[in-house]
Amino acid sequence: MPETTFLDSTELVLNMGPQHPSTHGVLRVILKLDGEKVIGTECVIGYLHRGVEKIGENRTYQQFAPYVDRMDYVAAVSNGLGYCLAVEKLLNIEAPPRAQVTRVILTELNRIASHLLWLGTHALDIGAITPVFYCFREREEVLKIFENYCGARLTTHAFRVGGLQYELYDGFEQQVKAFCDMFLPKVDEYEELLTNNRIWVARLKGVGILTGDECKEFGVTGPVLRAAGVKWDLRKAQPYSGYEQYDFDVPTGENGDTYDRYIVRMQEMRQSVRIIRQAVDRIPAGPIGKTPKVIKPATGEVYVSIEAPKGELGYFVVSDNSTQPYRMRVRPPSFVNLQALDRMVRGGLVADVVAIIGTLDIVLGEVDR
Amino acid sequence: MADEQNAEGSAPPPASGGVSEPPKQKDAPKPAAAKPPAHAAPKPPPPMAATAWEGELPNQLKERFGDQLTACSSYLGQNFAVVQPEAVIPVLEFLKLEADFDYLVDITAVDYPNRAERFDLVYILYSFRRNERVRIKTMITDAAQPRSAVPVHTGANWLEREVFDMFGIQFAGHPDMRRILLPEEWQGFPLRKEMSIIQQDNRWVRENLGIESGQ
Amino acid sequence: MGKFFRTIFLVDLFQGLWVTFRNQNPKNIYTEQYPAERPKVAERYRGAPRLNINPDNGETLCIACNLCALACPENLIVVGSERNEQTRRKELTTFTYDLSRCMFCGLCEDACPVDALELTQDFELASYTREGWIWDRQMLEEGPKPTPYKC
Repeated sequence: MPETTFLDSTELVLNMGPQHPSTHGVLRVILKLDGEKVIGTECVIGYLHRGVEKIGENRTYQQFAPYVDRMDYVAAVSNGLGYCLAVEKLLNIEAPPRAQVTRVILTELNRIASHLLWLGTHALDIGAITPVFYCFREREEVLKIFENYCGARLTTHAFRVGGLQYELYDGFEQQVKAFCDMFLPKVDEYEELLTNNRIWVARLKGVGILTGDECKEFGVTGPVLRAAGVKWDLRKAQPYSGYEQYDFDVPTGENGDTYDRYIVRMQEMRQSVRIIRQAVDRIPAGPIGKTPKVIKPATGEVYVSIEAPKGELGYFVVSDNSTQPYRMRVRPPSFVNLQALDRMVRGGLVADVVAIIGTLDIVLGEVDR
Repeated sequence: MADEQNAEGSAPPPASGGVSEPPKQKDAPKPAAAKPPAHAAPKPPPPMAATAWEGELPNQLKERFGDQLTACSSYLGQNFAVVQPEAVIPVLEFLKLEADFDYLVDITAVDYPNRAERFDLVYILYSFRRNERVRIKTMITDAAQPRSAVPVHTGANWLEREVFDMFGIQFAGHPDMRRILLPEEWQGFPLRKEMSIIQQDNRWVRENLGIESGQ
Repeated sequence: MGKFFRTIFLVDLFQGLWVTFRNQNPKNIYTEQYPAERPKVAERYRGAPRLNINPDNGETLCIACNLCALACPENLIVVGSERNEQTRRKELTTFTYDLSRCMFCGLCEDACPVDALELTQDFELASYTREGWIWDRQMLEEGPKPTPYKC
């Protein structure tokens, strides 16, 4: 019989998920622990795999548009924008200016909605229960705008290839402006609750550090990359849909820890409001674009990406001169970002895993597609 | 340019489908589609109207890799290079170390079942310094085992696993070549063209879920 | 020094609590008492499908052109028609709409050339059986009849 000592520290394998509330969906992380310390992880994903890429090969270009909303379902408008831009690039057409400005407004509203959902659930994971109610309350206002505009709140199907389906409703500008005026003080309110909260700071500062070089190594994009001090935003680097006309800053962090990611996202919400305010004032008159009855691009392939709330969302579309895509590849930001989880949690405490998963802002519908 | 050739290896139509086209949908397919009207028999689609990619970088690549570089082309303003399968990793290494393409955006594959080299393997790269994207494409056969890109870009790990999961392309030297999205015991590779959209591994469904698959 | 006082007097705690109390004001309540209080959905809301009938003569507006069935990504619409020998026109006989697969994308109503098929503002679509979601022509013309809530 082997001699056992008191407080024998053997490796412990802990199963986190798939039904764990703070994995934000059905993510299963197998944690290898040495006491409280994480010495290795393995992510098991695919529980939400629906084969979006295969569906894309079997639908016409118009028919596939509602499916992309269901990947990152909290940022459905961004997904739709990326898809429409990709197909428009393949057809070599561009949406009319009125459609472009509307797209920018709705996409930025969606970024706010996505960040609000992130903030609420992330704070809930850490133990701050109040922000989730406030965030959902403000998110409701965004969803109301979506509902008024296109009839759906979450999986909006707001944009069509070549422009928009719906003309702006009466009072759209006023509602958006009222939201902006209402929202900015609310961001300050969240910050009052969290930014200097000592529990919040203690749980987040110095946790899950990912440096800029590591981000590039893993292909991590979005607020995680910017929190590491890399000032890179596709809206600035390769502007699409007229983003070059708007004046906004790209907030960055310094340390690349979870606290910086929180700060970056809070700043991003303010910048989004700034973009929306500029855009609302300059909605040009004119056509909103018309979807071509038959979308049949010439043989070819394009890769088009946008800055989704989670990071770089790319569509690689191969056309074989038929009405259906030959290959529809989606480059999901959450999937690529999740890969860096192992690097971030290794050597940290098991309690920090929750904070780090929360701060990566993954949506499992997009990870698994 | 000598290697003004597209992926399929046939002569491209005159360089008219490129970026300079007026932004109108009808115009893009015209050069090829204006020929005799389609009959009942399915006609193979016209090849991609790619133009040559000119500049400093393709010249560097040509100088460095010579014959292993099949083509440097550009379609709708997006540049891509077609290389021999064995040259992919050296090209990625060269681009990372000497041309600052330090961000591997995506790895994916495209299945062409009627071609001798069945798969197109596509690597999408981005350079933060140049603010530029390139695609590296290669054609591999069904049985080929391309080298893994993980030693060059750590982020290739999951992307290659997904390509394996969906297409069954084994990457040689990959640290963890397993399925990633589908269950381990799943049979078949769903994104291959011979798999129909409603087809699934009925045996797996019966054994693990205890139901008869609805398909 | 300022930091020291903040720590001693728990300034950040009270700051947070003040935010919470500010939001306790009853006029800020957002909860909707759903069955008792009917939410007002937007004008463009995409809910239950409806086949419109001409109010003047009670005939269906649908011309059985099958465009909605072609536009649907999920292929859940089946349009049955037969040719009327007298008027030489196609006439609608059956129309089946499988709501259990519908994702309310609105492509069918966009495709409809005569505004016959429409996604309405009805949102109470629950059913006790799967068959209850497969709506036939009669159901589509009459619309859903949810049981009214009794207080």
